[in-house]
Amino acid sequence: MPTRERRAVVLTGLILSLGITASSTSAGQTLKVGAIPDQNPEKLNRLYGSLAQELSAKLNVPVRYVPVSNYAAAVSAFRTGSLDLVWFGGLTGVQARLQTPGARVLAQRDIDARFTSVFIANGSSGLRPINSQDQLKQLKGKRFTFGSESSTSGRLMPQYFMKQASVTPADFAGGRPGFSGSHDATIAMVQSGAYQAGALNEQVWSSNVKAGKVDPNKVRVIWRTPTYPDYHWVARPGLDQRFGSGFTERIRTTLIGLKPDTARRRDVLELFGAKRFIPAKASDYAAIEKVGRQLGKIR
Amino acid sequence: MALSGRLKPALPLLPLLPALVFPPLLIQMLGDLHGGGLTLLSQFVVAAFQPSLDPTVLSAQVTGLQITLITALLSWSLSCVVGVLLGLISSRTIWVLVSGTAGASRWIRRLLSPLRSLHELIWGLLLLQIFGLSSWVAVMAIALPYAALMARVVADQIDSRDIPAMKALRSNGAGTIPTLITALLPSFAESLSHHMAHRLECALRSALLLGVFGLGGLGTDLALSMQSLQFNELWSGLWLLAMAMGSLEVLTHRLGVKLIGALILLAPGVGAGWGRLLAMDLSMPQLMLPLTDLSGSGALNAAIEALPTAPWLTLIGSTIWLTALAAAVAIGGPPLGLLLWPGRYGVVMQRVSWGLMRLFPPPLTALLLLLLAKPSLGLAAIALGLHHLGVMGRVLQDELDSRSNATRTAMQCSGASQRLCWLYGDLAGASRNYLAYAAYRMDVILRDTAVVALVGGAGLGWQLRESLTSFHWALVIWLVLAYALLTMAGEMVSERLQNHWACEAGGL
Repeated sequence: MPTRERRAVVLTGLILSLGITASSTSAGQTLKVGAIPDQNPEKLNRLYGSLAQELSAKLNVPVRYVPVSNYAAAVSAFRTGSLDLVWFGGLTGVQARLQTPGARVLAQRDIDARFTSVFIANGSSGLRPINSQDQLKQLKGKRFTFGSESSTSGRLMPQYFMKQASVTPADFAGGRPGFSGSHDATIAMVQSGAYQAGALNEQVWSSNVKAGKVDPNKVRVIWRTPTYPDYHWVARPGLDQRFGSGFTERIRTTLIGLKPDTARRRDVLELFGAKRFIPAKASDYAAIEKVGRQLGKIR
Repeated sequence: MALSGRLKPALPLLPLLPALVFPPLLIQMLGDLHGGGLTLLSQFVVAAFQPSLDPTVLSAQVTGLQITLITALLSWSLSCVVGVLLGLISSRTIWVLVSGTAGASRWIRRLLSPLRSLHELIWGLLLLQIFGLSSWVAVMAIALPYAALMARVVADQIDSRDIPAMKALRSNGAGTIPTLITALLPSFAESLSHHMAHRLECALRSALLLGVFGLGGLGTDLALSMQSLQFNELWSGLWLLAMAMGSLEVLTHRLGVKLIGALILLAPGVGAGWGRLLAMDLSMPQLMLPLTDLSGSGALNAAIEALPTAPWLTLIGSTIWLTALAAAVAIGGPPLGLLLWPGRYGVVMQRVSWGLMRLFPPPLTALLLLLLAKPSLGLAAIALGLHHLGVMGRVLQDELDSRSNATRTAMQCSGASQRLCWLYGDLAGASRNYLAYAAYRMDVILRDTAVVALVGGAGLGWQLRESLTSFHWALVIWLVLAYALLTMAGEMVSERLQNHWACEAGGL
């Protein structure tokens, strides 16, 4: 290629790049839906693919699912407007609302008002089933793992119930708990014996037991926590201005009106592990906020 | 100094010295073995041969891989262009050429060093807070430290050479710019383009890692599959990644100076156009500062209050200890492996295993090790060290391949054993450059301690993640500062070591 031609090619490339970069300011009229990452990707993709279609059909706007693999990233993405409607856990939902004034709690599942965590232990750990919360003391000196740092059911509430029994993270072997990264990983870590005990979301535990992924000879539940409110849908402020008045309310009605009457809707509800969505409000999560502040996860 | 003068070990033994860390680490691992994860581990191994072929999974992963590639390409080209410019203005030689004194170059270098002292992951998490989940955040997170690193390499290359042509041109009265273009640039274009090609692969690994922490692309899919222990899905992603890394490796080895240059210039256009096809959000990011009432004195008070809340000595101590152990594993591993298993078969097997080690992100290695042994700092060090062992293995192999085997042949003829021939014939020649590169790798490992936090309580990285998930900005700022100071100190040490081992190694 002669020099002049080559220069022309390079120049065209540069101009093209500048043009594309400048022109690609997003229209911002797509509803971006996200979720905290606590399930497997295949399930998330299927679930949110179907949900996006369902919402798009009902609300008459394009809906896109944005995958996020980090709890804190989901909170930040919501605050900065990269996500409009997010399926948050109890703690992350509160964090997101505190950082995004005007954000609204829309709905929760029928099971979220009275959610529970389970404490599980490896058979060789010598840990015995716990009858009263006070007996959580026997976890002192054991290798213990939570799920993700910001998980309500895998970290916040278990830590809170332990604190009530005066067990702090510094009491565990090694002076700190582990963070397995997810509920599924917590089961694997405790079952293998890397950690002697751990805490996780009871819903995930039950579905793993049902799927035959848990070896009852190696790992078992030693305690079930009292109930607390968990997962919920939170919408960004200003959606009504962007998509038309009453839009946020329409999202809420759509979610709550989801019934298992078509294959797609059945699929969505099944993947969420719920019979239906019920209305929720910010004050339902006041207790979570209080615990979050006590444990330093909310500032 | 007098003592070290008398007791200097033979040169080829130096790269083997760090391997002394293996016996104690292995003893600890053996003591910590629990074997309870063997079923799961065997499932992981079996899954390698039965990757998921589910179309939903595959299409998500192919899209993810493209996003990761685009991120790598954009950040790489940006960091090359900016890095060369910054390198030119931080070079002593050029300042002398232009203004007669070199004073300013030192200040520019100092200003750039905090940029490269933070891991791209930390840049990513910080930029995410300021700009939201835009694709540019991942690009900038890689481009910022890479550009500063490239600047250092460029400046070192220029300053470490004595270029006769430049003196000749200057004394004949040639202008500054013509001198730069005709004498300086051609003299280091070749080695610089090698380095740039190598950085493209690094950028791909970084883009993947950023995805693991929530910034999109294949890394996000891999992280989600890993978290839910869906090994078949995980492997289809890993195989895709292996194919991409393999073809990139072949490609970058073939590209000459001119093609690398053209790729750098075309990358922004290609990347942006490609990204548009995938509906990647490449719009200009908007400033979205975290919501805090930190105004002036409020911010100061919060910062002062936060300072004593972290156990600094323990945090910094365990970070340094983790770095030292992981670096020893990474540096000592390849020469030890080749010494113990030198034959052709052994070399092939080790090359394959180095490739796998580079392929697995450190958090995945840590997870797999936890299926075998109890959590400990040693285990975190092995997880981190193995990833870098893969990189160091390749560096050593490249170094050995590029040397003539005259010494070894001579030794073989005089009847030395295969191991001795390898030790004094091959390794002795490659040692200097290998160690010089190892000194630079230690910086990278120190920054990388941020990523093995999952093993529980491993240093500053763990505390940083905990503070980030609590949105505890005051403490985050102190932690970032501590990281920056620590890496800057590490850089000073490694620069000394580098100068000591190989003045001619040229910054790589």
